[in-house]
Amino acid sequence: MAARAAAGGREWRLALPLAAFFLAFFVAPLGVLVAWSFYDSAELRALTLAQYARFLGDRFTLGILWDTLTLGAKATLVCLVFGYPLAWLALRLPPRWQAALVFLVILPILTSVVVRTFAWIVMLGSQGVINQALAAIGLVDRPLRLLYTEVGVVMVLAQVQMPLMVLPIMATLARVDPNLSDASSSLGAGAWRTFWKVTVPLSLPGVVAGCILVYAACVTAFVTQTLIGGARLIYMPLYIYQQATGANNWPFAAAMSVVFMIAVLAVVYLLNLVGRAARGAYA
Amino acid sequence: MRRRRDYEALSFGVAIGVLSAVAIAFLIAPTLILLLTSFTDSESLKFPPSGYSFRWYAALLEADQLLATAWNSLVVACWTTVASVVLGVTAALGIGRSRSPWAKAADALFMSPLLLPALAFGFGALIFFNMIGLVQSIAGLTLGHVVVCVPFVLRNSIAALSQLDPAMLEASESLGASRFYTFRRVTLPLIAPGVGAGAFIAFMSSFDNIPVSLFVADARTQMLPIYLWEIIETNLDVRTAAASGVIVVATLVLMILAERFAGLTKQLR
Amino acid sequence: MTTTLDRRSFLAAGLGLGASLALPRRALAADSLVVATFPGTWNEAHSKILAPYFRKRTGASVTQTIQLAHDQIAKLAAAGGKPPFDVAILDDPQVLDAIKQGLIVEYPTAKSPSFKELLPEYQDRWGPKISMQVIGIGYNPKRVKNPPTSWDALFDPKYKGRVGLTALNSQLGIAFLAELNRIKGGSLADFEPAFKALRAVLPNVGAIGANLGAYATLWQQEQIDIAPYNFNFVQTLKGRGVPVELAIPDTGAVGWRTSLHLVKDAVAPDLAVQYIDSHLVAEVQAQMQQAPYNVIPTNGKVALTGEITRSLGRTHAELAKIRTIDWEKLNPQRSALIERFNREIRV
Repeated sequence: MAARAAAGGREWRLALPLAAFFLAFFVAPLGVLVAWSFYDSAELRALTLAQYARFLGDRFTLGILWDTLTLGAKATLVCLVFGYPLAWLALRLPPRWQAALVFLVILPILTSVVVRTFAWIVMLGSQGVINQALAAIGLVDRPLRLLYTEVGVVMVLAQVQMPLMVLPIMATLARVDPNLSDASSSLGAGAWRTFWKVTVPLSLPGVVAGCILVYAACVTAFVTQTLIGGARLIYMPLYIYQQATGANNWPFAAAMSVVFMIAVLAVVYLLNLVGRAARGAYA
Repeated sequence: MRRRRDYEALSFGVAIGVLSAVAIAFLIAPTLILLLTSFTDSESLKFPPSGYSFRWYAALLEADQLLATAWNSLVVACWTTVASVVLGVTAALGIGRSRSPWAKAADALFMSPLLLPALAFGFGALIFFNMIGLVQSIAGLTLGHVVVCVPFVLRNSIAALSQLDPAMLEASESLGASRFYTFRRVTLPLIAPGVGAGAFIAFMSSFDNIPVSLFVADARTQMLPIYLWEIIETNLDVRTAAASGVIVVATLVLMILAERFAGLTKQLR
Repeated sequence: MTTTLDRRSFLAAGLGLGASLALPRRALAADSLVVATFPGTWNEAHSKILAPYFRKRTGASVTQTIQLAHDQIAKLAAAGGKPPFDVAILDDPQVLDAIKQGLIVEYPTAKSPSFKELLPEYQDRWGPKISMQVIGIGYNPKRVKNPPTSWDALFDPKYKGRVGLTALNSQLGIAFLAELNRIKGGSLADFEPAFKALRAVLPNVGAIGANLGAYATLWQQEQIDIAPYNFNFVQTLKGRGVPVELAIPDTGAVGWRTSLHLVKDAVAPDLAVQYIDSHLVAEVQAQMQQAPYNVIPTNGKVALTGEITRSLGRTHAELAKIRTIDWEKLNPQRSALIERFNREIRV
């Protein structure tokens, strides 16, 4: 039936219910959000750009935005560094082990994010498991500060979002013709060279998809950011939440949400461009 | 030359091995530690626990508020999954195979909740529901959740549809079967595992949703993740560890079932 | 999983969803009450002592939502006639806000038999005072051998990296800042001395809790050794085996009163009054005065005992001498202080 879409030409109507739903409950709320960002106050006495001016004219708030965007970048990078080898390895395992590994990879995304973050509090403390382990093997003589630091937040985000990185990379790697890397090595290229010159370029679409998903998830990860970050590391989600519910300043919170969305979309767009350019260069 | 290549192969293997090992350890550790900690016999959360007992699991049975929020979350997750499957699968049939720019645009729109910061949408939903009077309701929460969960069903359904052999469908229709009959008897059974995997992810991500519930839920419609976050934030109560233990085990059981019946790991790759 | 989805179940599911959306806002059972409570000691004492008592007395069930006074005010203000809970728990400063914004109604004392038993200073027509909260210097006795005697201990270089603070969204945070300001020569019109002192203490600070829960975590995971803390929270953590003690500095303790209020447009106002009255009953207050809660009673029939008499005061007259803060003067500056504090502490 779907196959006849081109012939029948009426299949597109099946997308109408979801399109209507999205208009009503996705586009409309976002539209309302944008409208509120131009309010001068909750009572709406005038439309103004004052909320944006307040946000963009303040180094404190701009700093929060910058920290949030770079936090996402760092966590995505860590995710990639550990996730890529995992995906690469998974595809070379016998099917049974491969299923087990995929199972392990998706386990965290399916166990409550609050629960996972909670476990990390126990692990990251100065008397926590990680510090105990580091001290036991003699790497540190006094406990490292991990809880309430950016390093801690990056570690936890990378763990929490790992599946979003590994699965798309596995999907593209699985489609890469294994003969290509065989050919490469038989032509005398070493393991590293084959990896960088053949495997990586061919898997770029998956890498870009993974990075986009991980990035979008990391920047908006409210619970992880607040529970692991503490009071001295403020990121956009917490600040928006504070302004929206604590300070009851909806217009300002709306303006911040809009700026935040645009910034994240811009990064996603850039990642897409990078992916496309890289693909073009290798093609 | 030979030596160099051996060395290269070795260093490559070691690098992949070490990075993967660290990644695997980090993926498993929190879940394991949490399970162990939840069996502590003391009043505070420390690892390793000083002794082991089931007391916090027993305490869960009396935590009626926790159970009530878990029920709320379950109800919302079920409705969200049903609505996501109905809307997602129909839309997938509509745009899955089309190459028209309209279908591309619709696809981008439907997937965009995964790319936008969900928290911004949650706040928008709060303002919007306030306007149309849908606050403090399970219906409002469900509508919000469907928006962020439908992309999972859509993505997996489109992937499953793209693997269908068109010849099979044509055969069915050339034999005089109606379109709907073909859908019910041929298409649906073939894409069911893919749809199932998508539905499973949608269910889990609704059950675990924070960004939307954070704004749309309130004291009268409390959701489990928000309530857990609240008690972790305020008390670091050991009961939360036990509640987490139950969630982890329930998820594991669900995942194993999904793996048995829908080949979850195969569908997600 | 969905292999059995056929037309019938599709249809049934669709109809079901339609029906659920068409239903009015979740019908609220008449015999259930939603109330706000504070974190820590309060949430525990309220769920273990107050809720069971209330259930026995009325047969109704109660849902408790944990929110700081500050957030309750915001939620009530945003709700516009549909309050998310019926009983608010507030500290002195937020009571003033709530009255000004018309979020609470006068307490119907005639319907509350135990109200008259309260000591006169705790009978407030806007809602009965249920306790008094006191702050001092919390410390970990395992690592701080001599109990600190002055707030200046926080500045002592030997505690580098071991001092804790909490954000100003809680009453603990703001009361500490006000007291620091007073000691350092500031006034309610001039908070410069407090922020100067804050900058001086920051190098010593190991962590700042974003909220009271994170703060409790810092103590529990022994991440900090010395920090301003609340009398009741220290007792509750101690009860859980966490090494923490409270010292009252030589400049004296600082305190404020906590009260329960009937919210305007409450869904179940009669139950709400019953709930508030339950908190005033001598039997309930006597139970809450026991360890590990050590909630200061306000009912005249409850004699002071235990840890309260040991560290705070032997009689109600002595407790009445604990220093309070002029919230009428501080309130207008509160949001500016919070904003400034958040900026000062950001790494």
